[in-house]
Amino acid sequence: MLNYIWISLILLGILVAAGSDIADEAGNTYRNGIPLDVRFEVAKHPSPLRSTWEGTMVLSADEFNAFYGPGAADSAVRQAAIISVDASGRSTVVMAIGDSSPLRWREMARHAAEKDRLTASVAAMKLSGDENAASVRMVMEPVRFVKLKAVTAAALDYAATAVNISIGLIGVMALWLGVMKVAEEAGLLKIITRLLAPLTRRLFPDVPQDHPALAAMIMNIAANMLGLNNAATPMGLKAMEELNRLNPRVGTATNAMVTFLAINTGGLVLIPATAIAVRAAAGSANPGIIIGTSIIGSGCATIAGIAASRILQRLPRYRRQVEADNG
Amino acid sequence: MAELFRALINMLAVAAIPVMFIVFLGWGILKKVKVYEVFVEGAKEGFTTAVRIIPYLVAMLVAIGIFRASGALELLTRLLAPVTGLIGMPSETLAMALMRPLSGSGSLGVMTELMKVHGPDSLIGIMASTMYGSSETTFYVLAVYFGSVRIRDTRHAVPVGIIADVAGMLAAVWVVNLLFR
Repeated sequence: MLNYIWISLILLGILVAAGSDIADEAGNTYRNGIPLDVRFEVAKHPSPLRSTWEGTMVLSADEFNAFYGPGAADSAVRQAAIISVDASGRSTVVMAIGDSSPLRWREMARHAAEKDRLTASVAAMKLSGDENAASVRMVMEPVRFVKLKAVTAAALDYAATAVNISIGLIGVMALWLGVMKVAEEAGLLKIITRLLAPLTRRLFPDVPQDHPALAAMIMNIAANMLGLNNAATPMGLKAMEELNRLNPRVGTATNAMVTFLAINTGGLVLIPATAIAVRAAAGSANPGIIIGTSIIGSGCATIAGIAASRILQRLPRYRRQVEADNG
Repeated sequence: MAELFRALINMLAVAAIPVMFIVFLGWGILKKVKVYEVFVEGAKEGFTTAVRIIPYLVAMLVAIGIFRASGALELLTRLLAPVTGLIGMPSETLAMALMRPLSGSGSLGVMTELMKVHGPDSLIGIMASTMYGSSETTFYVLAVYFGSVRIRDTRHAVPVGIIADVAGMLAAVWVVNLLFR
């Protein structure tokens, strides 16, 4: 099933991206090649030392939206710009796009040749009488295949992110695996396992009652509930390693592994710290109000996950995969 | 009451790791384990385990990255919006429900955005943050945990994870509507 989900994510992503680029091209969302008339308020005139105009491009939100379509800007446009004139007399506008720039330009700048910078060629420029303003007719640099470029960039980005996450795990993995090893050698894991046997016997009937995997799983679940992610992951991976020792068929998940994952993906947390922090930052009157609702939500998810793992493991199609080489 | 619970859990969370260090290592000393040597022996595994995860995590995150960057999620949200109204789920929170199992940072972004637009104490704000707290990033957990022991055939793990996610999201919608509508 993971095969299908994996390929659907990729295919759906690329198809939607291509479709949206074709729609952009057909509707010319970015108005490639169409001149835009703007007022330019001059702040600095060219001097003998430099041949550039510095100032601000001014457009009302309505004018901007009339050109690009509704929603392209949510307030009046005041965009700092530099107009440079080269030796042959051709003028180019360069605009540094930031948070105060209109939405559509920000979107375009993300995919421009140079990130966060939009350029346009000046088709006509007419100074006002006092030379402190000008009307400029400019053609923006063409923007094409935005989504396909974004998809490509995301693929490369996420590949790097995956490696960074894994490498970042090394330290805390080493720390906890070291501590766990000491606990194992000292016989402490066995004691924890025995104490919690009444619970684990029901959850993981396939695992022998004194197996160290049980202690690692219980500690992983406890750490998760307390929101100690840094400790939970190493313990969870230790548990997986121990469970894999009981695995008759390397490379295939066992029932206990799936039940364990169901508990982990249910994400039972007593204090959803991240959500509370975001709520507090957004100015909530009572950030902690979601503690109870989250416990109910994640409790239901966990129970549903455990139940589903118990039921699905009996289905012929999943059972066959385990028994294939026994029978 | 809620405050007391929160304070108690926070205290427990702060104390848990130091207490574990003392108990685990102290027990080792009592049982005459050569703690330093054994610690190093165990820690050695940290590197190989982390590196073993890399191919699984690359495969998973690249697929999720492509999906997120394409805008397919927005499309799905628009297509499914008429259905979610029937179960009392504001269509704005649907993006949250779809993003939650795929990407931790993505769903964090959706939650922050929804709170900025609708306010943290609105029905949508409370529902989005409850949803965030009601599940884990299923596909990330799947890749990391199975990757660490080189499991390629995940059997029923994916349907189980999805069932758990759906149950968590539905429970979040139900309980928030019950208490805050």
